[in-house]
Amino acid sequence: MTDTIAGAHRDADSYHAPRRASLGVRLLRSYRTEIAIAVAIILIELVVSLWSPQALSYGNIANIAQASAPLILMSLGVFLVIATSGIDLSVGSTFSLTGMIAGLALSGGMAWPLACFVALGVGLVVGAINGGLVTFVGLAPFVVTLITFAVGGSLAFVVTDGHSIAILDPDFWRLNGGELVPGLANYVLFCIVAVAALEFALRKLVLGRWIYAIGSNDKAARLLGIPVWAVRFGVYAASGLFASFASLISLSYISNSEATSGANMMLQAIAACVIGGASLFGGTGSAIGAMLGAVMITVIQNGVNLIGINSFWQGSVTGLVILIAVLIDRLTKMRA
Amino acid sequence: MSASSPDFILEAVDIEKSFGATSVLRRADLRIARGEIHALLGGNGAGKSTLIRILCGLLRRDGGTLRVDGQEEASPNAIAVVFQELALLPHMTVAENIYLPHRHRGLERVRAAERREEARAALAQIDETLAREALDTPVAEIDLHQRQLVEIARALSSGARLLLLDEPTANLTFAESERLFSILRRLASRGIATLIVSHRMNEIRAVADVCTILRDGRTVVNRQPLTELSDAAIVEAMGQKGAMRAETAHAAIRATAGTTVSIEGPGLSVTLPPGSVLGLAGAPGGPSRLIDTLIGANTDLHWRIAMDGALRHFAVPAEAVRQGVGYVSGDRAEKGLLVTLPILDNVVAAARIAGRRWFAGRREARVTQDALERLAIKAGSIDDSPLTLSGGTQQKLLLARWLERIPRLLVLEEPTRGVDIGTKREIYAIIRDMAARGAVVVWWSTEFSELTEICDRIVAFDLRGTVSGVIEAGNISEVALARATGMAA
Repeated sequence: MTDTIAGAHRDADSYHAPRRASLGVRLLRSYRTEIAIAVAIILIELVVSLWSPQALSYGNIANIAQASAPLILMSLGVFLVIATSGIDLSVGSTFSLTGMIAGLALSGGMAWPLACFVALGVGLVVGAINGGLVTFVGLAPFVVTLITFAVGGSLAFVVTDGHSIAILDPDFWRLNGGELVPGLANYVLFCIVAVAALEFALRKLVLGRWIYAIGSNDKAARLLGIPVWAVRFGVYAASGLFASFASLISLSYISNSEATSGANMMLQAIAACVIGGASLFGGTGSAIGAMLGAVMITVIQNGVNLIGINSFWQGSVTGLVILIAVLIDRLTKMRA
Repeated sequence: MSASSPDFILEAVDIEKSFGATSVLRRADLRIARGEIHALLGGNGAGKSTLIRILCGLLRRDGGTLRVDGQEEASPNAIAVVFQELALLPHMTVAENIYLPHRHRGLERVRAAERREEARAALAQIDETLAREALDTPVAEIDLHQRQLVEIARALSSGARLLLLDEPTANLTFAESERLFSILRRLASRGIATLIVSHRMNEIRAVADVCTILRDGRTVVNRQPLTELSDAAIVEAMGQKGAMRAETAHAAIRATAGTTVSIEGPGLSVTLPPGSVLGLAGAPGGPSRLIDTLIGANTDLHWRIAMDGALRHFAVPAEAVRQGVGYVSGDRAEKGLLVTLPILDNVVAAARIAGRRWFAGRREARVTQDALERLAIKAGSIDDSPLTLSGGTQQKLLLARWLERIPRLLVLEEPTRGVDIGTKREIYAIIRDMAARGAVVVWWSTEFSELTEICDRIVAFDLRGTVSGVIEAGNISEVALARATGMAA
């Protein structure tokens, strides 16, 4: 029992020290959005399996995992930016541009691990430009990343004059399909490691708490002594890096670089964060949520295909799911 | 209970409201007569804000009846809340701000000249100079107290007969407050009633006729003339008996260890030994520039700060925090709370910076728990949002930040803004305790009574923001402060 500061104790009898729930209860509470999404994903799969029993087959689930891996990785980076109340519209273009540069490097005979590093550099450069313009010049994130979105998207065409590149390197597939850990394909491993590392950092490292603090109230964060500009710069750089990495994983699977490969992904990644509980005003959400949001989007696409609905409806279904997710979020917060 | 009477502009009877399991209002009554200035009092958490939000339609009541102008279905414009600056559109002119919000038919053409004349007329009722000179100025370019007047004009032009003012003087100087009060009195003589919420007893006595006091969601004093109530009776009704008991005559605090801070600047050179409390008085301009320099937020090169004789220059707040400068602002929402983070992060945020920590560790939960217990902060859990706490408790939470490592220099910017008397006493005690443990305290307040009570020495700034004098321990009085700051009655 600690002593109370004299006079700070107005009515000693009625004062109760705050109590802390057990770790289990706390985890259930703080991850309730994520748990709800996970349950929703399973429900969607069950509903789809009524029409198409192979939905729950090992092959289909592996398909979903493979298809969602690039989106998961991109969403993680975008989430970091959104958590600081920023936005990154450039990730789709970075994805495309990375694919083209990697394709060029590989078809030029560069060893694939080296080509990967070069390609990651693309994301880092774009991210650093975004971060620099946002933090040092003070431009609005939306505007800055709209610029890099436009420029990056066009450069993706410029570098090969619009031609696609077939990847002929016989070993490049290993990046995605190899098994660094025997029995576990790399794309699954990378996603698990990335989500776990980020989730740990966001919850247990002071740096992670700073990311939320900046999204929560950047003025207060600055006055507290949090290095706001460095953290901001860092999340944009990380977002670019994640987008490039996502592109490499995808390229390693598809073996063909196309300038439009990332065209739809930016909106999907933002949607994944929002479905996963992130607020565009910043300060909320989790890496696990962003991952589950990305999985949900992929599961919906997969389900629409399996049921045999015209794939043009995919976007409408995804939009509906986002609407439902934010409505549920709003309703639960109103009651709290 | 009397039937609805035409003399009342507002009758709220047996209002009930709960949020989840917590009932905030249990049978609260409030009757306001036409043309009266009515004070609504109560401690933090008594239900004042909730009641006001119900009156102006921002919240739905669970029970009770509400009559405006004797009718259950009131015209929505009869009651107007005057918010602090936030409800105006900064890029539009004063005139546009007054007339635009009340035009519901969006497709109607704005007859600018006509509307401008209406706006001018409404504003002229309040302040003729403002109406003459600032009508076409963007709101962003006029002063805070003038914005408040614009809001009142807007309410009048929409036909309001009852103004709700929540802490209207929180950001005003003494002279500006006086002006606001005289305007309210003038409006009252024309039949426009005002409900005013304030924690400043002097002010309430100066402006209000009658008061209603809430306590734990119930009306404990119903429409009593203020002349019939002593300060002690009011405090007792609010449930804060003992809060008025003067603290044991406050001898200058002598801390044994700590840092000596000296501040030099135009017209000022002071050396502050550990444990001393320096007050800053006067209009915001001067004190805020010194404070921004002390905390590294915005350095003004006119000021020179030394700690233990070594000159310190803080380019960013992070440097100040690492050097042991703590900061708490009364502007909780803007400059203090991390609202989406749990209470825990809000408390340990400063120690993480000062201690250059990397890990948000297990120990932090205990540290937070201890801090909350020492300050008797009532919270459900350290994992809850700080928004679950009342305003005064949030303020204590911000102070809790600096308990783990007592700052060498603690800079306070109106730390008791919008806080009830009982909580103010608690905050004073916390700050004294930090001073006794070696902190040098620099404290800006617009409430002279609090400065005279706590400070060893007070620097007065005049209305232009320059230092007009240093008042030493023996000579501190509200009169001396009023004279030095130019904010006298």
